[in-house]
Amino acid sequence: MMRKILFTVNDAPCSITCHPAKTLLDVLREDLDLTASKECCGKGECGSCSVLVNNEVVCSCLILVGQVENQNVITCEGVGLTPHLDHIQESFIEEGATQCGYCTPGIIVSAKAFLNDVDYVPSVDEIKTALGGNLCRCTGYSKIIQAIKTAAEKNLKELGTV
Amino acid sequence: MEKNNTEALNWVGKRVKRIDGPEKVTGELKYMTDYQFDNMLWGKVLRAKYPHAKIKSINTKKAEQLSGVVTVLTHQDIPGFNGFGIVIPDQPVLCSKVVRCTADAIALVAAETLEIAEQALELIEVDYELLEVISDAEKAMLPTALNLHPDGNIHSHVKIKNGEVDQAFQEADIIVENTYYSPRQMHAFIETEGGWGVMDEEGFITIRCPGQYAYRDRMQIARALAYNPERIRVISSPIGGAFGGKDEITVQIYLALLAMHTNGRPVKIHYSREESVIAGIKRHPFKVYMKTAAKKDGTLLANEVRAVADTGAYASLGGEVIALAIEHSCGPYKIPNVNLEGFCVYTNNGIAGAFRGFGVNQVCMGIETHLDMITEMLCIDPVEIRKKNVYHQGEISSLGHIVKTSVGTYKTLETAENCDLWKNREKYKADVSEPWKKRGVSLATSFHGIGMGVGLPDYGAASIELLPDGKFLVAVGCEEIGGGNGTVYAQVAAEILKCDISQIKVVQGDTSKTIDGGTVTASRSTYTGGRAVAAAAPNMLKLLTETAAEMLEVPASKVEVNPNRIAANGSCLTYQSIFDYLYQKRKQTRVEGHFFLPKEKKEIEGSGGAPHHIYGYLTHVVMVEVDTLTGETDVLRVVSIPDAGKVINPQGLEGQAEGGAVMGIGYTLFEDVLIEEGYHKTRNFTDYIIPTIRETPLIETFPVEEAEHSGPFGAKGIGEVVMIPIIPAIMSAIYDATGARIKHLPATPERVFNALKALKNENIQSAR
Repeated sequence: MMRKILFTVNDAPCSITCHPAKTLLDVLREDLDLTASKECCGKGECGSCSVLVNNEVVCSCLILVGQVENQNVITCEGVGLTPHLDHIQESFIEEGATQCGYCTPGIIVSAKAFLNDVDYVPSVDEIKTALGGNLCRCTGYSKIIQAIKTAAEKNLKELGTV
Repeated sequence: MEKNNTEALNWVGKRVKRIDGPEKVTGELKYMTDYQFDNMLWGKVLRAKYPHAKIKSINTKKAEQLSGVVTVLTHQDIPGFNGFGIVIPDQPVLCSKVVRCTADAIALVAAETLEIAEQALELIEVDYELLEVISDAEKAMLPTALNLHPDGNIHSHVKIKNGEVDQAFQEADIIVENTYYSPRQMHAFIETEGGWGVMDEEGFITIRCPGQYAYRDRMQIARALAYNPERIRVISSPIGGAFGGKDEITVQIYLALLAMHTNGRPVKIHYSREESVIAGIKRHPFKVYMKTAAKKDGTLLANEVRAVADTGAYASLGGEVIALAIEHSCGPYKIPNVNLEGFCVYTNNGIAGAFRGFGVNQVCMGIETHLDMITEMLCIDPVEIRKKNVYHQGEISSLGHIVKTSVGTYKTLETAENCDLWKNREKYKADVSEPWKKRGVSLATSFHGIGMGVGLPDYGAASIELLPDGKFLVAVGCEEIGGGNGTVYAQVAAEILKCDISQIKVVQGDTSKTIDGGTVTASRSTYTGGRAVAAAAPNMLKLLTETAAEMLEVPASKVEVNPNRIAANGSCLTYQSIFDYLYQKRKQTRVEGHFFLPKEKKEIEGSGGAPHHIYGYLTHVVMVEVDTLTGETDVLRVVSIPDAGKVINPQGLEGQAEGGAVMGIGYTLFEDVLIEEGYHKTRNFTDYIIPTIRETPLIETFPVEEAEHSGPFGAKGIGEVVMIPIIPAIMSAIYDATGARIKHLPATPERVFNALKALKNENIQSAR
């Protein structure tokens, strides 16, 4: 039972025809070739597939595409593409917060959503709470914490100069 | 022009940003499992239903008849050798007569969709006759045990003897004796095993699959297919994490077999996490008996070790893991009398293989805990006892060989005793977060061999090509596993070629583009690959200089290599113009560099490859807080003090130190893949907990750079030792906090709680 589903991905309208019970992750990766979002556990445990639906972080492996009809989806590609990087992406590079990089897009999405909600430099504890749903096996997270702080500082600086 | 030795370095030793950073933070980088094709098929693997059984028959007829199924393959469809394994290929590609663990593969399916492929697996009928399950390594060693392989259940037995152990134990003032148990850790790389395979019209096969040695993967594929390896291309980089878990063949042979039967259509396999947990190799669980003797003044006299490793159903690198464990079982100390032996034993418990630390994790907890016990009995300082017993460069190790290369242990201990956490430990320990919690601070030191041991080929190779746009393409076989070796190669090349790092492109892990330079394992890729780039770069300089001389009609001695350009007699040449000249003359624009790792001349008989020529060293200081009501342990602070020789990229080194520390915390406190009677009880990240960001302590990294002159700019290796001494350091800090010694890892809340309860009962008993 195929169906046409309309939604917005990274600010562009999108129409796909597929089974409405296909996961959003599979639609992004297979139908739209947006492969930044990864499948790692398929159970909502690791956050590698994190995307924003109406600015809320969700695991796209747990969402069916029918559920995002007429909704607004942002993936890591929507946060920024080379060479026009978002502050959070620049900061990840500067602080060395990516290693193998497989979890990185999901973490960028979660961090971006978190930073959208704060207008100060968050504490380590706040960052740990916000990013608690994203697993990384390479970095030990220290540089991820630092990168989020650095990005918050950049955001504030930019606001100050506006 | 004479080179000035004190010349400042522009790239090496600097916090150079990762060259692959931009495409990783945007998600634009394509991993092997990210590729999609319109005409692509999905591959699936049928696994054994039982951990040990005879296969009486396999019937694939119904599966083949299912609409959408393109091919179903069994052992009968393997053209070549039905086996794989890095050293001893005893694991069947597809089982024919017997299954020895639930990771065993029996059949392969390629179908139009993943769902159809999964459905087809259910239609394959396999008739089994169940056999007794061997689930305990020590029972497997008994002569009466059912043999899993023709040569018996003991896959390997290694021994190292030195001095007079019995006499030393008689003369000793103190003897400590304990048995330690360690868990079956899972690599838990975020990218599960997967990739794709395709065969073109001319029969050329391309396999894209993350792996840790493209050329060896190609050899293993070719062996199973009875195929000319020159007609197979393996692309193995980038990797979404591996840690040793993609060192062995994962899905490469399955992909190649399926690709031979799909009429040119690409086939993709990508394991679910559940399949990865069952099919993937794990860290060997060990039982280690250790007995250590010392004199009253803290001098270590003797060490006796008997280690038994459960390698599961197949060898993979099990023999090498136990050999490395035994080689490192006495720590970086000079113990004059040792009797060490290790057994690697087959069971029906999945498969174990390479994993960061490679056996040293399981033995370091013994020797380091014993040092702390001796320290306590003698009332001496834990740093002093270590300083007293460590070997220095040029001294004889516990194995009886002279350590000729750089040894930084003493310096790491000096740094440890002067760090804030250690100096002010009493103050920090008093500062508990709740009255029922207790804090402890402890330290431990360890080491890890760099590269392969005696008897195994070990060489590095790199090429550098001048490209039409005037940039340099540095090609190294060692894959980008995540650690940042690609950035290291670019730094080394930019340094020697005197150009900006943006002029350097790096390609890794591709049998069509990189020459064979060995594995990305054994803490070797910075040392070996970096040294190979450092060998190739002067050849490129020579090519540039000679070409410039020819172009400008001056002697080569007049040509100056300036930053980013070549000059002579007042004229300047761009790299681009040099390429154009070479191209028009149809001359070679590519150079190579080769490097053979220095080795020890003589193997210690029976040791399975010991000693290594070079070791990296590291001391950890940790602070833990133990909840005495629940037994839960938090690691609050870690100081990591590595001796990796000259640090090429401090940011990359810190990344290794931090990631290794957190992986070590997971190993010590909660990670364990549970297998009962051959069946996995652990299934996914729902029941296998790895550290999250919330478990991340404050981690400080203070490298001591004891330069190793054979390495690139004095570098050694770092990848493995970063997760080793933290294990006994945490165990000892729990003791410091609570008085409970945990000798069975992981130190779960339950184990710590029970130990605290036992301690309480003991105290009550002794008070009566």
